[in-house]
Amino acid sequence: MLAGSSEQHASSASAPPPPSRPKLALIDRDGGFMQVLARRLDERGWDHTAVASAITPEALVRMRLSALVLDVALVGPDCWSYLESVCTRLPTLPVVVCTGPSSVAQRVRGLRLGVDAWVTKPCHPEELICVVEAAMRRHRRMELAVLDPPTVAGELMIRHELHQAFVGEISVGLTAREFEILAMVVQSDRVLRREEIYERVWGYAMAHGDRSVDVFVRKLRQKLRAASPGWDYIHTHFGVGYRFAPLPDPSFVSSDEPVAQPQATRSHLVYTGPPAD
Amino acid sequence: MGLAEILAPSGREYFALFEQAGANVLRAADLLDQMLSSYPDRRELASDILVCEHEGDRITHDLIHHLNQTFVTPIDREDIYRLAGALDNIVDYTEEVADYMGLYRVEAPMAQAQQMAKILHRSCEQIAEALPLLRGFQDISQHTIEINRLENEGDRLTREAMAALFDNGIDPMVVIRWKDLYERLEGAIDATEDAANIMENIVIKNR
Repeated sequence: MLAGSSEQHASSASAPPPPSRPKLALIDRDGGFMQVLARRLDERGWDHTAVASAITPEALVRMRLSALVLDVALVGPDCWSYLESVCTRLPTLPVVVCTGPSSVAQRVRGLRLGVDAWVTKPCHPEELICVVEAAMRRHRRMELAVLDPPTVAGELMIRHELHQAFVGEISVGLTAREFEILAMVVQSDRVLRREEIYERVWGYAMAHGDRSVDVFVRKLRQKLRAASPGWDYIHTHFGVGYRFAPLPDPSFVSSDEPVAQPQATRSHLVYTGPPAD
Repeated sequence: MGLAEILAPSGREYFALFEQAGANVLRAADLLDQMLSSYPDRRELASDILVCEHEGDRITHDLIHHLNQTFVTPIDREDIYRLAGALDNIVDYTEEVADYMGLYRVEAPMAQAQQMAKILHRSCEQIAEALPLLRGFQDISQHTIEINRLENEGDRLTREAMAALFDNGIDPMVVIRWKDLYERLEGAIDATEDAANIMENIVIKNR
């Protein structure tokens, strides 16, 4: 039952929520096309960054993109392994390939690796933008479908769409950053390193010695303990990071309960439900 | 102040003020150590450190005032002036670190900054223990040696901490904030070494 309760939390989308203004990375060297495309993106109020060489998947994570447009000709013969690593590392990032003439086999291979759409140059910038928008819409629908059911873990109900956790009807009162950390650890069934958490939540590499993750996890724990005092949710793995596993706190004695008898000391090992109020 | 005191000074006021300054320096460093080791839970300690900074200014002012009033001093006037300044610098840098943590909206400490604050605290303990020994110009070498050792450790830590800020992909805002804070922490630790060197000079000149 314990295993069941800790498995319930494993779910869904892994990337942090995209910013409200769409942010696009364009990996392309076609100066003229980039110029007309940039003008149209500016008119729409999109953020965009043009890059003339491939960006590592780690750097793409840090850029917190809404979508990626890529000319595979720039990457050369390694383009397939590059596409595979980008689509695996960032499964929620819409990826559109916009490149010169290609064979059916190449297009099929790209799409099977996880590319959302393949546009052949020469193309109209408006058409490319529409394809990117369609890919973003598709991803959003998928995310909403996954996020719709709240995640239940121990006494916690995590409502992704509200960016908040609840115990019963009462909000735990998490800040945006605390919620992002909770949502990230909840989705993982392994120990997450501090560096991984920092990179995903803050969007930058973690400086050696930075205690931000520890401080925010401490605040998060305090709030969770106050809202759900009979449970431990986040466990420290010293020198490594944190793991989410909702477990009843064996040291917790409710003020309404009689003092535990000796035979009850192992009761937490056979968990039969949340502690009585 | 009588003529006898002017001509043959006991220097009680100077030594008493230096001891007050030593206690004040130690208190400020202790508060910063506590503030950083529990940051951000005890941010309010910054206002207590500010009180120490005001107290440091008051003591320095009193020392200079005495210096202007006294014809003959128990130790070199220049040394009194320099030691007062060095002790004041320690508290000034300490207060700046505490203040800038708030001004720069630092959310969490760096492990290296916590270690540097501990070094500063230990160095200030040595200063506070050495200052009363100035009354009889007694040997303070064990304290100055320890302060020099701590300063070297502080230098090493600062260099490592600075280098860590320039690894790839770190938020430029983090770099700006912490480079500034590390420099001030290093300034405070360096000021303890300045004070130790001046104290050592005083003892050598007057033994």
